[in-house]
Amino acid sequence: MEALLVWLQGSLLGEFMRSSGVWAYGVVNLVHILSVATLFGSVLVLDLRLLGAWRRVPLAALEQPTIPLAVAGFCCAAITGLCLLTTNATEYRGNPFVTIKFAAIALGLLNAALVASLPAWRARHAEPLEPNHRRALVVAGGTSLACWITAAAAGRLIGYW
Amino acid sequence: MHTRFVALAGTFALTLGAPAFAHHGWGGQQTEKTEIAGTLKTDVNLSGPHATMQITDDKGQVWDVTLAPPPRTQNAGLKPGVIPVGAKVKIVGNRNSDLKKFEIKTVRVTYDGKNFDVYPDRT
Repeated sequence: MEALLVWLQGSLLGEFMRSSGVWAYGVVNLVHILSVATLFGSVLVLDLRLLGAWRRVPLAALEQPTIPLAVAGFCCAAITGLCLLTTNATEYRGNPFVTIKFAAIALGLLNAALVASLPAWRARHAEPLEPNHRRALVVAGGTSLACWITAAAAGRLIGYW
Repeated sequence: MHTRFVALAGTFALTLGAPAFAHHGWGGQQTEKTEIAGTLKTDVNLSGPHATMQITDDKGQVWDVTLAPPPRTQNAGLKPGVIPVGAKVKIVGNRNSDLKKFEIKTVRVTYDGKNFDVYPDRT
């Protein structure tokens, strides 16, 4: 872990971030927050729908904006996050919120991949939804929301350790 | 149903936003000011969320000096090369509440009779 942090800090990206002027960190941080907001906002809408909110809105209509926005938000957040991390990587040594955050992100991605292969997800547009499929989608949405709330909260708290 | 979910979403937003307010109260630092005299060990670094430098106090203890965010620190006149490494400096700030850590959030750096007020509203 220590070796990874030292390597990240010494990487070209880290060097680039440190030599890009006094506003570099602030601007990249801003883009990171906007990306996280995009990801979290989209996920929040879709997951609350899976949990049972807005049943009159067809899932297909909500998927169309939320899934691409969530994917785009995640990609931008991952890129900008790597830039922020490499700037002063070794300062995160021993910070428990970093571990919690990355574990939550890994679980959130794993959950998304698993849900996509569920029979309930493939049958999600059926009207009416079979009760066991509905329950599976509630678990999927709840798990997703728990993962992303944890990731966002732990991410915010990294600076307070 | 509608109202309930709006309330739920609002609660999430407030929960995530809450620590942002705490940031500006300098939680984790002592409320009273500490003054340290010493010499500059590591020059000012203007990258990352806050500018930093290191000083060695008169007893030989090395302190991690946390300054303002980089643009603000630079506007206060403090940037790499302004204070020579090894020069006598005096700093005033709020020390980390954990006394095992030698870290201080600094509001003023004094060198050669000149004050660099990185947080003028906190001095």
